[in-house]
Amino acid sequence: MVVSRLIAKLQRYEGWFGVAAGLLIMVGLYMGLVTSSPDYYQGEVVRIMYIHVPAAQSAMFAYTVLFGGSLWYLWKRDPVVDNVSHAAAGIGIFFTLIALITGSIWAKPTWNTWWTWDPRLISFAIMLLILVGYLMLRTFLEDKEKEATYAAILAIVGFIDLPIIHFSVEWWRTLHQPLSISTRGVAIARDMLIPLLLMSIGFYLLFAYMLMVRTQMLYLQHLLEAKRGRMLSKVHL
Amino acid sequence: MAAIRGIELSKSFRHFQVLNRVSFEVKEGECYALFGPNGAGKTTLLRILATLHRPTSGRFEISGYDGLREKMKVRESFFLISHGSYLYDDLSVLENIRFAIGLRGGNPTHPEIKRALDRVGIGAFASLKSRHLSAGMKKRLSIAKAMLVRPKVLLLDEAYASLDERGVDMMNLYIREVTQEGTTVFITAHDRAKAAEVAQRAGVLNRGELRELAISELLTAHALF
Amino acid sequence: MHFFNVIRWIAWKDLLSELRSRENISSMFFFALIVILIFSFSFSLDPKTSKELMPGIIWIAFGFTGIIGLGKSFLAEVHNDCMEYFQIVPAPKGAIYLGKFVGNALFMLIVEIILFPMFILFFNLDVLEKIPMILLIFVAATIGLSALGTLFSALTVQIRAREVMFPILLLPLAVPIFIGAVEATRGVFSGDPLPLYLDWIKLLIVFDAIFMVVSFWVFEFILDY
Repeated sequence: MVVSRLIAKLQRYEGWFGVAAGLLIMVGLYMGLVTSSPDYYQGEVVRIMYIHVPAAQSAMFAYTVLFGGSLWYLWKRDPVVDNVSHAAAGIGIFFTLIALITGSIWAKPTWNTWWTWDPRLISFAIMLLILVGYLMLRTFLEDKEKEATYAAILAIVGFIDLPIIHFSVEWWRTLHQPLSISTRGVAIARDMLIPLLLMSIGFYLLFAYMLMVRTQMLYLQHLLEAKRGRMLSKVHL
Repeated sequence: MAAIRGIELSKSFRHFQVLNRVSFEVKEGECYALFGPNGAGKTTLLRILATLHRPTSGRFEISGYDGLREKMKVRESFFLISHGSYLYDDLSVLENIRFAIGLRGGNPTHPEIKRALDRVGIGAFASLKSRHLSAGMKKRLSIAKAMLVRPKVLLLDEAYASLDERGVDMMNLYIREVTQEGTTVFITAHDRAKAAEVAQRAGVLNRGELRELAISELLTAHALF
Repeated sequence: MHFFNVIRWIAWKDLLSELRSRENISSMFFFALIVILIFSFSFSLDPKTSKELMPGIIWIAFGFTGIIGLGKSFLAEVHNDCMEYFQIVPAPKGAIYLGKFVGNALFMLIVEIILFPMFILFFNLDVLEKIPMILLIFVAATIGLSALGTLFSALTVQIRAREVMFPILLLPLAVPIFIGAVEATRGVFSGDPLPLYLDWIKLLIVFDAIFMVVSFWVFEFILDY
């Protein structure tokens, strides 16, 4: 129940997170799209990076929060922690989708294909599948406690599996068609780094803001259902 | 000493609150009968005691062990007879019994099993595959399992359901016998007269709330709920 | 020793039921046979391309077979509410998991071993002298698939839409097994020296170990609250 109090406190400041996220993202977008210099190799195309990379980072962070929340739930069984995990999964889908779509758009001009069997792409696609499966699983269970437990198990197993998937796909790729395309080792210029950093922090804050709001929504929904249940049990029979 | 104790137990499912702060106590060697209309939460309460559902709030104790923290101890002390027969269709009656008791760490001998089966009246079907058993015979089989396990607490959901008249009498005989040996029995039932034969105390669960009853009330009251 | 006895009881029960009904193995076998037939119609395979495609075809067939078999694994347990008994029985839940896992892995392996000669027959594979290596790959991949499959079978068996949810949850997470198994099999078929594909077998074994441990640990939360 410590968490419940912590969340109540955080929620008092949720507006600040929203405002800070909005400001950082606006400044970051302006710098990234207008003032920063185009990439030596990729030209103007590189600017999609300012959305793609922060979105991918936030998506991974969302899954990490989901994993931590799931472990915590199995340990302490605090329903609010389950609400946090539930919220993180939904927001994780949002960021994963942004990362996948912008990645695909970015891939077309640079790699001349919408989709490639890149380990990161596959890991993200599978992460999306796991998160969607997670939300589906939740809708199919009646018992609240069981729903939370089963969902937590899926999240934990999936999280442990992701590095293995990434590793095996990477290995498989290097065997079949040695990586012709690599984004690694790209040195980033100073005037690109600052907007990227701003966008990253902005996206993290945006994630935090969304998480607080969504957790609150789920929590209230939970209360509402409980209340309706109590009323129903008075009326019924 | 209280063998079963429920403290402020509440349980809600997604759209329905089934139990609302139910508290009660059953003493050792006592038989407690729970009544209530369909959907009142009798089975839910029993399933919470049987560590099948986690209560939304509140706690309970069985044989002095905390139902949420000492589940293993709790599970060693009770035996549940419920709607489900816990049988495997392709195993014989005998094999099913040995499997069920074996999981609990017991190892009953063949004559012991045979004696229990004879007592519940299905001794002749020991090698029959359980898919051919009728509902009443499955219930009798569950009672035979309980006889072999000899639990400290016996939880019976719909104690008389699907039993014939002689089956009901046999059940009552068994309950009376084990309560005399100090076993605590908790039953849910609809047949007031039959339950009154064995129960020392009774309660009515309605709209998620529990009301204690005198045994005399069981037989005289026009309507319990 | 209770722990190992529970594993033994569960595996014994599954094997005995299967021996009597042959439900699981036969449905898996015929399903896989149909998959093979469809593949042999879909690709007109000359020996050279068949060597390229065979590993993929084999593991698609085995993967689907596994989904059929593993998905049904816990269905037998819900039939008479036996899952409930698993929950309330005072036995370590990890042992119950391992017992189910042993049965599932054995069934899958048996089907694979019966099917493999058919692949050799249908597609003119020339791999007779490499059979020990192939068997090792089968075992390593089957263990991983069963470890995850047993877990998800238990997770989805009690929910609505389980037929859909089981593969949806299992397949994405099983990607490393399929990659590892296909690559290792390809290595064997094309006559590569062992060091070239040994890493894939190692990957399978590491995966097996990780998911046995993880599933063993989380299984307690599935069968319990």
